[in-house]
Amino acid sequence: MKKQSSLSAGTLLARLVLIVAGLSALVPVLWTFINSFKNRVDIVSAVPKFIFTPTLENYAYVLGREAVAQGLVNSILVVGAAVLIGAVLGLPAAYALARYPLRWADDIQFFVLSMRFLPPVAVAIPLMVIWLQLELYDTRFALIVTYTLLTLSTVIWLAIPAFKAVPKEVEEAGRVDGYGPYAIFFRVSLPIAARSLIGAIAFGFVLVWNEFLIALMLTTSDAKTLPIVASELSQLGRDVPWGILNASVILLSVPPLLMVGVLSGFLNAAFKRKREVA
Amino acid sequence: MSLVISSSPEQKMSAISCHNIIKRYGETQVVHEFDLDVADNEFVVFLGPSGCGKSTILRMLAGLEDISGGDLHIGGRRVNDLPPQERGIAMVFQNYALYPHMTVRDNIAFGLKRLKVPKAEIDSRIKEVSDTLGLERYLQRKPTELSGGQQQRVAIARAMIKTPKVFLFDEPLSNLDAKLRNHMRIEIAKLHQTLKTTTVYVTHDQHEAMTLADRIVLLRDGRIEQVGSPKEIFERPRSAFVAGFIGTPPMNLVEMSVKDQGSHFELSCKAGVVHVNARQFALEGRERATLGIRPAHLQVDTSGGRDGGFFGEVQLIEYLGNEVLVSFSQNGGESSNEISALMPSAQAPRLHERVSFVADPQQVHLFDIDTGASLRIDKASLH
Repeated sequence: MKKQSSLSAGTLLARLVLIVAGLSALVPVLWTFINSFKNRVDIVSAVPKFIFTPTLENYAYVLGREAVAQGLVNSILVVGAAVLIGAVLGLPAAYALARYPLRWADDIQFFVLSMRFLPPVAVAIPLMVIWLQLELYDTRFALIVTYTLLTLSTVIWLAIPAFKAVPKEVEEAGRVDGYGPYAIFFRVSLPIAARSLIGAIAFGFVLVWNEFLIALMLTTSDAKTLPIVASELSQLGRDVPWGILNASVILLSVPPLLMVGVLSGFLNAAFKRKREVA
Repeated sequence: MSLVISSSPEQKMSAISCHNIIKRYGETQVVHEFDLDVADNEFVVFLGPSGCGKSTILRMLAGLEDISGGDLHIGGRRVNDLPPQERGIAMVFQNYALYPHMTVRDNIAFGLKRLKVPKAEIDSRIKEVSDTLGLERYLQRKPTELSGGQQQRVAIARAMIKTPKVFLFDEPLSNLDAKLRNHMRIEIAKLHQTLKTTTVYVTHDQHEAMTLADRIVLLRDGRIEQVGSPKEIFERPRSAFVAGFIGTPPMNLVEMSVKDQGSHFELSCKAGVVHVNARQFALEGRERATLGIRPAHLQVDTSGGRDGGFFGEVQLIEYLGNEVLVSFSQNGGESSNEISALMPSAQAPRLHERVSFVADPQQVHLFDIDTGASLRIDKASLH
């Protein structure tokens, strides 16, 4: 193969844009990561330091705080429950909408999504009033129910195309083989669509794990989630604790990254098998 | 063939009877009063162009499509409202419809597991069908790791293992390439010889229909156009539609004017003249009729046109191997007026050469010019 000797100006420009865009996305993350291991003096030095004695002080501080531990427990419980309920209710709902066309199917689909059209504040204020009235304000329960609305709509919307992609004939073969609609859902359609469905669920997870505004308005102390706790770390005083802030940002990013990492590994494995055949 | 697969006595009752079956989608009726009896062990092929309702009828037999009206009996039992699994049928789909997340073995066993068949019996039955269809080596593979022909064999195995009363095939070969299609067609024919299970097979491929069928049901726009053995359908088409649909190259259909000559009728058009026996066709009082003659039944005229015939200028020569298909027309007319004749390759004319052919009077078909119904009156049976 002969390599092209000269790159055209357009290709060069395109690559430059790509490099700049890539760096602008990666450098802050990398900088945050590096700074989370620095002590205060190293962070605020006028000349950026690349060589320093790393310290785990920031992480120790963040993880040692009771509020963070509490926030982590809250986040895991609230997000876990919301994603679980969203999947358990959303997947059958999506399947029904995909396979049993009703006159109202489109309206239902639109209604489910309509909550996502509004700015979160517009949704959060009425919810706040509702939960206050029910005396459930600042409880995990209230947050779980609220987040379930988000995960449910996301899962339904992303799962409908996944179920529509399952060939109808395969389900019909299941009927001829003697299985009823529920058995076909669990034993045929669900496993076939699994790959796309896991993506839908992961997306719902990331969405509520990172959710800030609604959590801010629905919690004050007991049910605070990690994003809220992290934001409070920056309000410790006029002296911004950069190291602690960086450490909490990194810690907060780990679960979604893990989720995405596990998922993409799973997806790659699934795709690879198919490619080997083709 | 082993004993497990061959039918037990009560399963022998596997005739299908369709009486006045109708399918409506809202206001649109797509199947009109479908009447058909399929005998036990018979291989019936539904043939027709796309949209003729053949697949819809098959899906109604399978229970995948509601029946809007009429009665369907399988094995003497009315099954209109029974779900697929209670009808004693097994179906092979056009795109195989294998369960992609299961191994070949699990695909084949899925239906038996539902029936709570003991594991030992499932294993022995899987062994039998996979031996029959040559699938032993692939049992642990996933369907995506198989070729199209192998996938189709798995689909057939999945249907066979249930020892159904009736096999339903929905265009099972149309996703395969030509060579494999030939091969699988022969396998299906052999399988039917061994199993003798009553079979309904849907296709749009007349070659498949002619070679596989005991009887062909030719459908058009949701109605039966003709039911008969392949020979009957080919040699005694009941309408111009059947005549044009069956046979490759297709039959020539030419509008002719009719003249009563007493002992015979003289039919003529711009391209030629044909004389037919007055007793063979109901032509009295008609001025026009559609004449049908297969390209193979036109012979090169050696008598100088005394017995009538067709003549014109060669517009197209298609080389088919041993033969050529010659299309000719009068004064370079439109292609719709073209007549085609088969002749040995060695005698092929040149392009734009003038040619003349005589029609074998025994092989002529005549149809009503409006309804397309056959005008043949002699009911002489076919040999």
